[in-house]
Amino acid sequence: MNKSCREIEQTLVDYADGQLSPGDSNKVAEHLTTCEHCRKMLNGLQKSLELAGVIWADSLSETENIRIPISRKVRKRRWLRYAAIAAGILLVVTTSFVWRTLVRPTETEPSLAEIEREIINEGMSAKLLAVADLLASKPYAKTLIKNQYEYIVDRYPNTNAAATARLKIQ
Amino acid sequence: MNEIGADLTIELNHAAGEMLAESSLMEVFTAELWRLKRIIAGMGLSASDGEDVLQDVSIRALKQCRGGSRTALPSRQENIKWLIKVTVNRCLMEHRRRRTFRRHAREILKRRLETKAASKPAVENVIVAEELEIVRDSLQKLDDLLLAPMVLRYFCNLNSKEVGEILALSPSTVRSRLREARMILAKRLLERGVEP
Repeated sequence: MNKSCREIEQTLVDYADGQLSPGDSNKVAEHLTTCEHCRKMLNGLQKSLELAGVIWADSLSETENIRIPISRKVRKRRWLRYAAIAAGILLVVTTSFVWRTLVRPTETEPSLAEIEREIINEGMSAKLLAVADLLASKPYAKTLIKNQYEYIVDRYPNTNAAATARLKIQ
Repeated sequence: MNEIGADLTIELNHAAGEMLAESSLMEVFTAELWRLKRIIAGMGLSASDGEDVLQDVSIRALKQCRGGSRTALPSRQENIKWLIKVTVNRCLMEHRRRRTFRRHAREILKRRLETKAASKPAVENVIVAEELEIVRDSLQKLDDLLLAPMVLRYFCNLNSKEVGEILALSPSTVRSRLREARMILAKRLLERGVEP
């Protein structure tokens, strides 16, 4: 490859693409008539581009089947949104249920203070009932004992002593 | 009352402008899908990779038009250039990751012969298959800086100025990269003893 070939080679691509001025193009064409090396190079340029076109076109036949993706993406995103809303609702309902069953005490179950109060009431009413029963044998204390039974029924109505006192009044 | 009316008019105009910008870019995206697919094919991506690329481009286009300027709507040509630019960059990213023109020369040739319904002598087919393999391999090894201008210029039929605008290069840089890429392909073909 001589100096002239090296210069021509620089412009061969532009020549093949028709990008040269008429003057430069004529100069290259003239050189090509006498230089086999540059002729081969020009053919190589044309053939390689042609083959690249074949490869690209083949690749395009596969790519052409791609569907417009935007609708699918949007649908996918909507799905995600609905799923997130459903998951949120489910979470709130579950948390509320768990809180109600585990944390908050049920209404039927008595507290310790209530149990303690019941025990005291039972004890106090039983004590008053025992005193009244002890005095029942004395005839002068009839009115006093009746008042005592009535007091037990009024003051401790839900106790066993009150139930007994009610029977005694009758 | 008049002030409220004026505010309402401004709001309506803004809303209309946004809708116009959005529909305009998305319309261009749909209309230019063939060109974007061509770029994807030229960059050697498979259909599934290409689908990912197009999905990303469509999402970016949606974001772009929703977050875009309200005052100046880009022209159709600007929208096309923007879409090509985003697609090329996305393809280059994918290409760097995969770097593969997957279908081999013999398969390409077989498909071409099937579609053309023309049969050449077996020896000639072997030679073409060999040449295709060389060019396929050369394209695969070609630097990204050279591949993108090649695809845009010779497969998408854009001129050097348009390619330069898309790739943020001067037309002379585009031409010099095209020269370099073309010479690499031609020299590899000749080095392997293929007679043009």
